[in-house]
Amino acid sequence: MAPVLCANCKTERALIKRPKNHAKLCKACFITVFEDEVHHTITSSQLFYPGEKVAIGASGGKDSTVLASVLKTLNERHGYGLELVLLSIDEGIKGYRDDSLETVKRNAVQYDMPLTVVGYDELYGWTMDQVVETIGKKGNCTYCGVFRRQALDRGAKMLGIKHVVTGHNADDVAETVLMNLLRGDLARLSRSTSIVTGDDQSEVKRSKPLKYSYEKEIVLYAHHKKLDYFSTECIYSPEAFRGSARGLIKQLERVRPTAILDIVRSGEDMARLVPGDSPSSCACKGQNTASSAPVEDDIGGCGSSSGRTPGNEMAAMDKQLRENEAHEELEIDVAKAMSERKLNGSEKQRDLPIRNGNSASKGVARQVRGNCKRCGYMSSQDICQACMLLEGLNKNRAQIQI
Amino acid sequence: MADFKSATAGSLTLTRPCVKCRAQEATLDSRSQAVCRDCFTKFISAKCIKQIGILGKETRPPPSTTNGPPTGTRRYLLGLSFGVSSTVLLHLLNDNVEFQLARGRSAPFELTVIHIDDTPDNQTDHDHPSPSSTAAASEIILAQYRARYPRFTFHSVPLSSALANDPLEPSSSSSSSSSSSLPPPPRLKEAAATTPTAAITMSNTMSTTTTAASRSDLERQLTRRALLAQARARRCQALLLGHSTTALAETALAEAAKGRGFAVPWLVGDGAAPSTSPPLEGGEEGAGGGGVNNEDAGAGVVLVYHPLRDALRKELVTYAGLVDPPLTDLIDGGVQDSKNGGSPRAAAGAAVVSHKDLSIEEVMRRYFAEVEENYPSVVANVARTTGKLVRAGEGAVDGERCGLCGMPLDKDGDERWRGELGIQERTGTGPGFGNRLCYGCERSTAG
Repeated sequence: MAPVLCANCKTERALIKRPKNHAKLCKACFITVFEDEVHHTITSSQLFYPGEKVAIGASGGKDSTVLASVLKTLNERHGYGLELVLLSIDEGIKGYRDDSLETVKRNAVQYDMPLTVVGYDELYGWTMDQVVETIGKKGNCTYCGVFRRQALDRGAKMLGIKHVVTGHNADDVAETVLMNLLRGDLARLSRSTSIVTGDDQSEVKRSKPLKYSYEKEIVLYAHHKKLDYFSTECIYSPEAFRGSARGLIKQLERVRPTAILDIVRSGEDMARLVPGDSPSSCACKGQNTASSAPVEDDIGGCGSSSGRTPGNEMAAMDKQLRENEAHEELEIDVAKAMSERKLNGSEKQRDLPIRNGNSASKGVARQVRGNCKRCGYMSSQDICQACMLLEGLNKNRAQIQI
Repeated sequence: MADFKSATAGSLTLTRPCVKCRAQEATLDSRSQAVCRDCFTKFISAKCIKQIGILGKETRPPPSTTNGPPTGTRRYLLGLSFGVSSTVLLHLLNDNVEFQLARGRSAPFELTVIHIDDTPDNQTDHDHPSPSSTAAASEIILAQYRARYPRFTFHSVPLSSALANDPLEPSSSSSSSSSSSLPPPPRLKEAAATTPTAAITMSNTMSTTTTAASRSDLERQLTRRALLAQARARRCQALLLGHSTTALAETALAEAAKGRGFAVPWLVGDGAAPSTSPPLEGGEEGAGGGGVNNEDAGAGVVLVYHPLRDALRKELVTYAGLVDPPLTDLIDGGVQDSKNGGSPRAAAGAAVVSHKDLSIEEVMRRYFAEVEENYPSVVANVARTTGKLVRAGEGAVDGERCGLCGMPLDKDGDERWRGELGIQERTGTGPGFGNRLCYGCERSTAG
């Protein structure tokens, strides 16, 4: 049997079947194609400007290692003129971060980039291990995610850098899209799909250059470029909605590899269809269970792909929704009945039912950016989420000490 | 406490009284309440009647052709897959009509029931217009439905009618063999002659799609298109679909997974379908509600409603077994597969091993079966919230809609997507649908 030739260069033997579209490529062409696609994403979205100082959020895992490697390559090849630095967060998880931080330190040498490590303990007075000790193994990903997000931004601020890039890949984005659909959280759906979050006005802007890159291709790229990365998953389990969405994504990918990108595409399109005054799931009173996840764009929990805990979040949300239903049955929504009569002719209006008077009056249009009153970090609430979580933690700590 | 006492006092002989009527033994669990059979069936029926009532307000009877007072009745079309949900809906609609008639009122609507015959044999045989064995099989099942619900008219229509110029032609030919109502004279040759392009396009499309996921997706889009074409051709004001809450949630996520996120609000919510004919001057703007009354615009505007949107699939399965005689005798021609509410043939491959033989819809169905079991309200929430998305491209004319599924095209999205991903536009491989295709249809026709 004649060897299959690379579909791209037609000279070398094809060794790689691209997970994205099953194209058969040789090693060199795969690496080139992968880099070209990231380059295309960067240029078409105009992620950088020449001379910009950019911090790469580096965990030592495959995504951020590949991101660092690709950015270094592209920066040199296409003359982006970027000043790249590595920024690492030490969550304080024994057996997870210790080793991966060593990897990041090696990467810093390999890629000749300066490295800064910021610890949760310096920033918050808590390591993740201590958090887990206090609140248990469930729901701690929320803490980790909120803390990390701020940590990266604070670290960047310390270094005087206004742009942080993260290694979120297409699988992560697709997962977040499905998760927000499952949670019925349209407001967050519209925020989670954009490639850049924050703008020139915010102190630190974030982007995800690997947004359209498949996780599997990232692994292949790392493998064939012989990159030095650390592959241990976080030992704490992901929250139920994310875990559930992740399992679903993997199944869909097996059935149809393009499904991941198709979901990303759908997510972007649906984000534009979110009604302006979308009554998000957290608009209704007392729903503190499901909406306690990070308010800010909370894409990609942590690197873990194991552990599908049949979670308490899902059960809690189910319970909450059922209670809401029971209450709704007792209510007569006068406003809705009247507006329905009035708008009988206009189909468009009718499809955007106002859930009840209270969510309408609240009118959570878009979040207003302000600053946290405690730490000064940008936040749409009076007190940012990290400070809220910290407050809860510190209360518990006090009790334990007594 | 007092509540508890009155309950025991009223039902001394009952070990577990129904929480709703307190008069009968509870034999079922409905949304974590113990209820009796009667209360359960009433509950499901009420969910349906509520939606039918909403639809009734949207579709006031059309004015008579002689400019007199409105005399006609509402005309609806029901898509019947022979699955659980659509069969239950048919049954409930029949109940509703009988209830009104029993009270001396006129029937609230006329109903035409259409089964889209998507058996592959039927498609390939369409060039040779002899009634194939599978088409005959669906006629046999249809005969059982006719016998049970003689009030309504039933037709079986081949899937290829989705692309025919005159959707009524092929249907009259295929149903003429056993239709109980007066059939038009058999004109098989002419029927075949009017639809050769459609048949060829169809078989081409189906043969070039190699994966189960793409085939299933196209079948779904074409089935919907065929049903809408029937509704328009038969001047029906609304197309009724049997989707349960669960099915709507599945649809939302499955369509998103197929890149059809832009179409999700059209597919999950109730309201006007994107019209196929170019808008009539002036008339189209308010076509959503008021235009339906207009006889001229009526040809273009069909409402799509899901009257069972508030019932879970498992509830419909239970309901089908409670009706006397049980609907399970009818469903899928008596073949027991209560799990599947949507397309009966997908259930045939329940023991699928290879992922290649699975469709996106099937993956979603399995996933939501699990979620429905444990977190029913989460399922309902998905259906509710995705239905709230804005329907973009509402006034789109022919050129701005997908040539295959008929949904509005997402030009902004297409442009940005191509820009960001550097995807080459497919050229010269269009399977003959004339117009441009949407992202999802391009995906599925590409193989």
